[in-house]
Amino acid sequence: MKAVEKLSESIFDKLSIDFLRNQVLKNAYGNNDTVIAGLDPRILLVWYLFFGIVPWFVSDVTFLLGCFVLVAVTTLMAHVAGLILFLFGLGVFTQTGYLLIVTLLFGGDATAVAPLLVLTLKVATVSLASVTVFSGMDPDKLANGLMWYGCPERLSFSISYAYRMLPILMEEFQNILLSYRLRGNPPEHETLMGKIKYLIYQLKVIIHSFYPLMLNTAKRSRTTVEVLEIKGYRYAAINKDVKKIKLASLQVTNNDLLFLSLSFLWVAVTVLLSTLI
Amino acid sequence: MASNKMQQANQSQKLMIFVLTMALYGLATLFTELIPKFQVGIVEFSVEFFLFIPLTLAMLFDPMSAALGAATGELVFSEIMLGQFGGLGEIEKFVTVTIGVYVAGRLVADPKNRKLVGVAAFAGTALQLLLGTIVDILKVQFAIEDFEAVAGLPESVFFTEGFAFVNDLLFSGILFALLPTLFLVPRLHGKIEPLLGMAPRSEKISLGKLSAKAVLGCVIAFAVAIAAEFLAENGMAIIDWEADWAESGTAMAVAMLVAAIASVGVVLAMRTKGTKAAQKGV
Repeated sequence: MKAVEKLSESIFDKLSIDFLRNQVLKNAYGNNDTVIAGLDPRILLVWYLFFGIVPWFVSDVTFLLGCFVLVAVTTLMAHVAGLILFLFGLGVFTQTGYLLIVTLLFGGDATAVAPLLVLTLKVATVSLASVTVFSGMDPDKLANGLMWYGCPERLSFSISYAYRMLPILMEEFQNILLSYRLRGNPPEHETLMGKIKYLIYQLKVIIHSFYPLMLNTAKRSRTTVEVLEIKGYRYAAINKDVKKIKLASLQVTNNDLLFLSLSFLWVAVTVLLSTLI
Repeated sequence: MASNKMQQANQSQKLMIFVLTMALYGLATLFTELIPKFQVGIVEFSVEFFLFIPLTLAMLFDPMSAALGAATGELVFSEIMLGQFGGLGEIEKFVTVTIGVYVAGRLVADPKNRKLVGVAAFAGTALQLLLGTIVDILKVQFAIEDFEAVAGLPESVFFTEGFAFVNDLLFSGILFALLPTLFLVPRLHGKIEPLLGMAPRSEKISLGKLSAKAVLGCVIAFAVAIAAEFLAENGMAIIDWEADWAESGTAMAVAMLVAAIASVGVVLAMRTKGTKAAQKGV
């Protein structure tokens, strides 16, 4: 009995904020040396545009399977964190899998399976493509790529800001949460009633800890904006010369073109196969 | 002066509010995105556990900046940084969150009025969930070919979506929007505004009433969101319809050709842009 308790405790420990934080940080910062991360963001965005949109328009199973295999391979190349892949699987199931079960419950039969299978393949392909691009790429690079395509400056600023602030914010949130826990006196959670009380207590602590966090972040965001003002951010954001200097680091290399043409080759092969079958 | 009657935020203060809401709500949604959604039977709870953050801030500060900041924060922190970006479909989430938070923020004239704060928090959440439900139903209706022909599917979709809406509203509306907002707004009121160098919102210094223009803006934005969803998911209906009279192989080949031309065009544009920049540099 003791061992079981220990085991469940250690599993819950793994699912703590620390674990989540590590996974997120690994995902955002941990894979800058992969093939995908080395590619030009503009090329990857074009690539994503294809695999994010085209599968929705096609119902051919061969073609969809081909696309799915390709994006699965690129996802592997991007070394995506395990938790993200788990969430992806769960997301695909909750989007279409449960519909299948409900349809069967309401008196549908096997004819409902085929369109749902196609829908599942589409959802899976599109989300894996986005996992590859947005998880495999360094957020700073992504922000530059988006800016090159003329996205609002606000968006690329937000991405760069989030990339830098995230570790600090997470640590601060955790510290506040821990200090509340240290001072608090959690209710007994042996019985069912106690467990419910414990859950409510935990939620209360989280909500309460947002009070100091909001005040702290307000101070910090004022500092951030004032520093940005000193550097003339609002003028720089609309100045063409500044943008040019910022984007000068983007370069398309042979690797990018190779990546594009290989993807293209694979798609062409699947199209050929789907017309033959 | 008449302008003194309004709670005015200058450009940099608006940016501060934007950054504040973005950072806080982004952080919170990051955690909710990582916690697997829990399901009871067939109903999936898509509870916005932390919607109280932008709601609170929208009631205290400029609602538009807070609403945009919340939507951007969710997009950037939880979707892009985790690589869960859903493409055009994200526009729907962006718009519904913006509308819900903005309306809730505009409803509150005086943050000291607790009843009003509660009603506004509940209404904002309800609006956001309702818009999401409408889009979801339309999405499934059009995404699956022969929606009506598949036995049992229409009823099941209406049933699950309706049930999920009521559930989410009772659950997140009361537990995660109403109570935390009622707790946070009176506490933060008068304390957090000076940190950004602003006067607290009160009966005298308020944003006028919710104007017809703002309502119209919300309606248009929602229409855009639905259109984006349709573009993202249902453009295929057009292609399928065309495929009836064209050979599916040729239709596919044409689609391939268009895609190839588009990508080649972009590559060419990139090259010319690069050479132009190089020439200017010399």
